[in-house]
Amino acid sequence: MSEAINQPSAALHAHDIDLKKSTLASFLPSILAVGGAVLLTLLRLRVGGESFISDGALMMLALAAYLTAAVFTLTNLYAPSTLFQKLGLWAATAGVFFNLASWGVRWIAAYDRELAIIARQGGEMPWVWRYIPFANLYDLSLAFAFGAGITTLLIAHRPSFRFLGAISLPLAALILVLARFIGGEFINLPPVLDSYWRPIHVGIASLSYGIALVCFAVAVIYLLKDGVKTEAMAIWSSVFALAVFATISRFSVFAPSTFGTYSASVFIPTTSSKMALPLRADIPYVGWLLVLSALLLVGVCVAFMRYLARHDETARIWGHRLLKASLVVQAAAIAALVGQIKTIVDVASRIDARQFGDFGSYLAKQQGLTAEQIAQLPAGRLTTASADFVRERGGELFLSLQANPVELAALITAFAGTLFVIIFSFRTERLRETLPPLEKIDSLMYKTAGVAFAGLALLLMTGAIWANESWGRYWGWDSKETGAFVAWLTYAGFLHTRISRGWTGRASAYFAIVAFLLVIFTYLGVSYLLPGLHSYA
Amino acid sequence: MSAIEETKREISVPAAAQVKPKPTGTATTPSPAERAITLAVCVALVVVVRLVVGEGMSTLDIGVMLALSVAVAGVGVQRLIEFLSSVRFGVSLLVLLVVACMIGMIIMQVNVDGFENYYTELTPAQRLLYGNLGFFDIYHSRYFNFLLLILSLNIVLASIDRFPKAWTFISRRKLDASAHWLRGQEQHAAVETHGASRSEVGERVAAAYRAQGFKPTITEKGTKTFVFAERGAWNRLGAYAVHVALLTIFTGGFLTAQFGRVGQMPLKPGATASDMSEIVFKIDDSTQEFAPTRASFELPFEVACTDIQQKLIKKEGTITADNTLDWLTWIKIRDKTDGTERDALVHLNHPYDYRGYRFFQASFQAHGQAREIKLRLTPEAGGETQDIVIKRDGETSLPDGTRITFAKFFPDFTFKGGSPTSASDDYNNPAAMLSVVRAGGGQPERAFAFANPLPEGLPVGAAKGGYKFQLVDFEKVPAVHILSVQHDPGANIVYLGFLLLALTLCAVFFFSHQRVWAQIEERSGDGGASIFEVVLGGNTNRNKLGFEDRFKRLVKAVGGDAETEVKQS
Repeated sequence: MSEAINQPSAALHAHDIDLKKSTLASFLPSILAVGGAVLLTLLRLRVGGESFISDGALMMLALAAYLTAAVFTLTNLYAPSTLFQKLGLWAATAGVFFNLASWGVRWIAAYDRELAIIARQGGEMPWVWRYIPFANLYDLSLAFAFGAGITTLLIAHRPSFRFLGAISLPLAALILVLARFIGGEFINLPPVLDSYWRPIHVGIASLSYGIALVCFAVAVIYLLKDGVKTEAMAIWSSVFALAVFATISRFSVFAPSTFGTYSASVFIPTTSSKMALPLRADIPYVGWLLVLSALLLVGVCVAFMRYLARHDETARIWGHRLLKASLVVQAAAIAALVGQIKTIVDVASRIDARQFGDFGSYLAKQQGLTAEQIAQLPAGRLTTASADFVRERGGELFLSLQANPVELAALITAFAGTLFVIIFSFRTERLRETLPPLEKIDSLMYKTAGVAFAGLALLLMTGAIWANESWGRYWGWDSKETGAFVAWLTYAGFLHTRISRGWTGRASAYFAIVAFLLVIFTYLGVSYLLPGLHSYA
Repeated sequence: MSAIEETKREISVPAAAQVKPKPTGTATTPSPAERAITLAVCVALVVVVRLVVGEGMSTLDIGVMLALSVAVAGVGVQRLIEFLSSVRFGVSLLVLLVVACMIGMIIMQVNVDGFENYYTELTPAQRLLYGNLGFFDIYHSRYFNFLLLILSLNIVLASIDRFPKAWTFISRRKLDASAHWLRGQEQHAAVETHGASRSEVGERVAAAYRAQGFKPTITEKGTKTFVFAERGAWNRLGAYAVHVALLTIFTGGFLTAQFGRVGQMPLKPGATASDMSEIVFKIDDSTQEFAPTRASFELPFEVACTDIQQKLIKKEGTITADNTLDWLTWIKIRDKTDGTERDALVHLNHPYDYRGYRFFQASFQAHGQAREIKLRLTPEAGGETQDIVIKRDGETSLPDGTRITFAKFFPDFTFKGGSPTSASDDYNNPAAMLSVVRAGGGQPERAFAFANPLPEGLPVGAAKGGYKFQLVDFEKVPAVHILSVQHDPGANIVYLGFLLLALTLCAVFFFSHQRVWAQIEERSGDGGASIFEVVLGGNTNRNKLGFEDRFKRLVKAVGGDAETEVKQS
């Protein structure tokens, strides 16, 4: 009898050990990526900066690896193959490794920079948290992309969820592209931010934003699996692209007075580096290409709405054609923009004089005049001052991809959105079959949303405690605070739709999508559009 | 949220939770008598509130409350409570809150720097519309607070509504389950196995349970043996704990909003203050002008400033914020109630607490001053120069008995109307005014020490008390540090809520309530080696993927393969 009892349990233990081993092995990519990055960072500390790979180069490697991984994963969805799946996984691992290594090497580089400043000017060596790369949006973007990458890798320990990289990694790559446009120059941190709460608060921010991104990817896949038509997705992506075209370049593309012009901000060199001016130079062709693309997208919306309402097959076919045409035109617009920003030399002649009034008041403010003093100046003074400035210093002005990072990233995101809808429209049914069952995707969505919710709660709490320590209030309805709060509320909404009859399933997936859009709004919109205490990052 | 991942199946299968789910829609349309009574009670309440609040209520408020009373009477109290406690209503409130916050983010709020410019640039129509809708200070508007209040009410009511059902998961463990019901669970499997007896098979299944980290309970019922185990039943209550934490935070926030005060206290070395000033942001209703005012608030103690210092990043740079590493203010607090005195230091990110008041570094007046000066003295009669250091408002005696007092500092020295003054706040022409008393006494003489070289023969540079003075070095410091004073009786409660929330969120999202059942029944056999059917089934409220793995391992250990039912919704 006792033997009979012992036997299966002994067998069980052996089985258990086996399972444990395989569990550890399935997390190997994440362990390797993080461990490797830590080793590389330590190596950088020992070897020194001159001959070592720079953080910028590592970031570009991460970008390339993420994109490669996404391509393999996507291919694997359409033509399942063990080789491609493995290649995708290891490319993603490499991406996460480069991404974290870039951040680590940047930390050491920031330390070297502090040392150099101290050698030049004297002073006491600040503590290690003062130069942790969490100072501006560039640093945060690096960490954000890492958060998304590592979450994807961790989830990929279940082979059936490796498909996730097909959406989450391109998004992580987009964030790195944005970081590239923002530029990796070190900034001097305002002293009030020099607190140990900064690494805690910002670290939680980047990880929970990363998880939110993965949750968004899962929600999109959920909708796809649930049978949401790619035509409906195309309408949403087109509306997004139209909104981007309408708002970039200070609303100039569709505004009647400046219809069809796109202009980019200009830089002026300063003693240490360069400074963006609130003055924009027209970039030819780009505006018209955007208008053309917008017309095509409007066509896409009309055709697909017709198809969705009346099942008109011709409209569907034309919609897809227009969508593809729009993709080509968007690509052309981006190429024209990037190419010309790199080649245009004579910037001054491309500056529209209609901006001179506003620019004049900027110049006056720079000279220390108050708003009232500026208002009392004679009418033409500001315009003449601007014209003089452009005439005298026009030769020094130059264009750079770093001038409007969010606009460029938004254009590329609109392009990527269109591209993905086109990819999904290709053999959609087959794609749906390859994806895991809806219930599993739903579990994953719930899990990631739950962790994102908990992460955002921690973010809000650490932020509140830090604010209370530094500014004397734990909550002040500052725009960034409110933004994170709103995203958190939306995740709370998501969690509750699941127990509210009639709102489960698709409705909750929409909540997850909106929540991530709010996270992005908090991340970029608040810094670039709204005033407040967080305007530095 | 108890049941955020509550399996809907359990509601449809009454045996699951062993209680009948609360039937929805029990409340019926109220009778006319009921309506009349409700209306009467509500109106009476409005009258009472009006009497208590007095003039604070406008006609509009009373109108809104009466309209609400009519609505309540029409719908019926029971149905109203049912509506208020529904999750759907809660989600709708969350959406409304999101919309209100978005408005507050997009429309600049009165307390944000730069509001004045923003406000003047709006069209009169915008000003009128936003102003009347309270959009310029939306987070303090009545409807926003009302929204938060209703949300709190919804949380409380919904929790009361759902808690009893969650509690039964803990109070009444479901030890057995029919094979039919088990086959309806998300995770289920059937295994045929040989065994000596039902109890022996039961023991074996129980051992498999233990190996998966479950503590099995074996129940015999007629011809069937049931093996039940669960993990983390308390997880069913996690969501309620989260809501308790949130309500704690709300309570703290309410206390802060009602009784908290934040003011400013400018401190100049040597000066004493016993009040702080609060800025009240207001838009004048009649003129539509943005008119912030200051209100003074008396502290229960006195604060004297003994010294201020500014640690600069670049010593030769300005005293602006971007060149500053740290601001330090030394204060002495004199408490009249117990007559004590205490010294304190307030510096960046290091506030000082006293009797529920916190002192922070907030800002400073960038009028250049010197905390300490270094003078080079050249004897008029010739001889060795000597260097001396004097603190702000301090004095020193030379070996020959001459007393020198550092009386005043001018960052940008000039004469205006015959008296020395500063042309600007910046260190363009730093000069120290000294008072010199010769050895053996006499009238104090006024002398000046300049940092920039002076042309020969200027009267201000003349020797006084037997010495010529030169300002060799000085430590830059602003004239005034402005401390922010916070009195916040709600902060500790909010912190308590934070602690609770962090703990409960981890408890909720990183654990789950997992249950497994096995029903063992003899299929056929004759004494020695019979065949038994083991039907296994299990469910979880969270972490379905992890549970699925565990269940599969369990089934494998019992000796079979799990079939996972896939439901496409």
